[in-house]
Amino acid sequence: MKKYSLVVVLFWSVFTYAAEKDSLGINPYQNYFRSLEYFEECDACGCSASGGSLGFSSMLNTNFVGIRYFNQRYKSNDGLFSDSPWYEENFNTIQVWGRIPIVKKVQVSVLVPYHFHNRETVTGAQDISGLGDLTVLGMYTVYETVKDSAVFSHSVQLGAGVKAPTGKYREFSNGSVNPSFQVGTGSWDYIFAAEYVVKKGSLGLNTMGSYTVKTENEKYYRFGNQFNYSSTVFYFLNSDKYVFVPQLGVAGEVYGNNYQYKQLLRNTAGDILFGKAGIEIGRDKFSFGANVMVPINQNLTGGRVEAQYRWSVNLNYTL
Amino acid sequence: MKFKLINTVIAVALAIALGSCTNDNDVVNATEGSGSLKIKFDHRYGDVDFIMGAPYTTSQGETIKVDNIKYIVSNIVLIKEEGGTYVYPKSKSYFIIKEQTPSLFTIELTDVPAGNYKTVKFGIGVDQEQFNLGAAGQGDFLAQAQSEGMMWSWSAGYKFLAFEGNFTSATVTDPTLFKVHTGQTGTNYNYTEVVLDMPDKALVRPTITPQIHVMADLSKILDGATKISLSPQPNIMGGVVLASITANVSTMFSVDHVHND
Repeated sequence: MKKYSLVVVLFWSVFTYAAEKDSLGINPYQNYFRSLEYFEECDACGCSASGGSLGFSSMLNTNFVGIRYFNQRYKSNDGLFSDSPWYEENFNTIQVWGRIPIVKKVQVSVLVPYHFHNRETVTGAQDISGLGDLTVLGMYTVYETVKDSAVFSHSVQLGAGVKAPTGKYREFSNGSVNPSFQVGTGSWDYIFAAEYVVKKGSLGLNTMGSYTVKTENEKYYRFGNQFNYSSTVFYFLNSDKYVFVPQLGVAGEVYGNNYQYKQLLRNTAGDILFGKAGIEIGRDKFSFGANVMVPINQNLTGGRVEAQYRWSVNLNYTL
Repeated sequence: MKFKLINTVIAVALAIALGSCTNDNDVVNATEGSGSLKIKFDHRYGDVDFIMGAPYTTSQGETIKVDNIKYIVSNIVLIKEEGGTYVYPKSKSYFIIKEQTPSLFTIELTDVPAGNYKTVKFGIGVDQEQFNLGAAGQGDFLAQAQSEGMMWSWSAGYKFLAFEGNFTSATVTDPTLFKVHTGQTGTNYNYTEVVLDMPDKALVRPTITPQIHVMADLSKILDGATKISLSPQPNIMGGVVLASITANVSTMFSVDHVHND
């Protein structure tokens, strides 16, 4: 309970502060090249929910709808023996995503994922597929540099959202090694996000953090709360018809323990740090993006799950 | 306008936060009724997965290949986290565990009172009190033990543990059969008890059947507190060394984890 209260109080104070800052003046800053939030969203190893730490990003366009495919590779091991075999796990997601302006300074991001995962097990191949958990996240621009002539331009956004259990949680995974072999967590989860972007000329740095509070599902299983963070350097290269935005950065995820019937499940907490590289290419109203993430350091599920890599491609249409 | 939005966000966040915390969890708190409990016996040799027929080297420099491992698990007692004890009915509490047969390495206890169990106790072998009931008092278990080769004869009694295969050593260069059988001898009864604290609670409920995953390290049979060499004695079925084997066996078990599914 204390934890929840703390989060609420934290957001209260930040929003109140934000409201005061906003009253300073209107914002004429043109939005087109303002980088948008890195909303990194994923559950317990990024397996069961929407985003992976690939992020919810487009450096190119603020408001868009698009489609994204992403792939996550893991290896898992039952941890019973020093020679237990490692099994491959392959997580695929196709996601319709969009970021839609609601009123000035407020945008709503929506993620609708469809998952198709497969893995090897002791008893043979196993696959699951289906609609994943729907996420809606509102982002509010707290501060934005107003002068075009400023050397550095800054923008700060805060947001909150919800993940609905539209994906089916299957109990069979409980006993198995990777509890995240799921298309949904089966729970209503609450997301708090913050993003800061600083730019100078064509060069920019995007830093974000988000915290997801997870609740118990109908099967009395609760995935651990999750903190995601990332920092990405990006650079705009313009040609006549195209704009290229190469990106380089790090992204991390920290997971709390999972619980079942209110009992802590040992060896379910963990953390991982990725290095990532990507590019976005824009032309007219369309943009194409590609992104790769490779683990630098990890300790997931007591060392029984190992992330190998993630990659994604996306096609967006600017609204 | 801004403040309104803020207030709405906070109100929603508060409602969510409070709502999340007041989830009733009847299943966890309700400890009425009864349920089932499974105990799965898994085997390793040292820290590797035990495989029948694979060569393992003992501390005495002997290479063993095991082709049979069976033992009798009996008199299961479950102890709750708050200390209450449940003794599984003796008439149902004898099991033969056999590495090769899935139906025999997982045992299922039924009609176990709901509760959060933290410790499990069991015997290896058939206790003397049960044996003293005579052949007629053994129920179906006698026939089962006979068909699994876990009896010598009624008068000689049950084999509590059978560990067999072949071995080689510096002095025994041709693969030679070995047999380790524990059971009663003229001087010792050799029934032993194992008490295992579990790293996770087993939540027995009408709707939850926990599975306790017991790991038995078979290397301990010869390489426990007492290190035993097969070369001078390929067949260990009696004598003082059998008491050492029995003591070794009592230390080979641990609970790796408990699933509450």
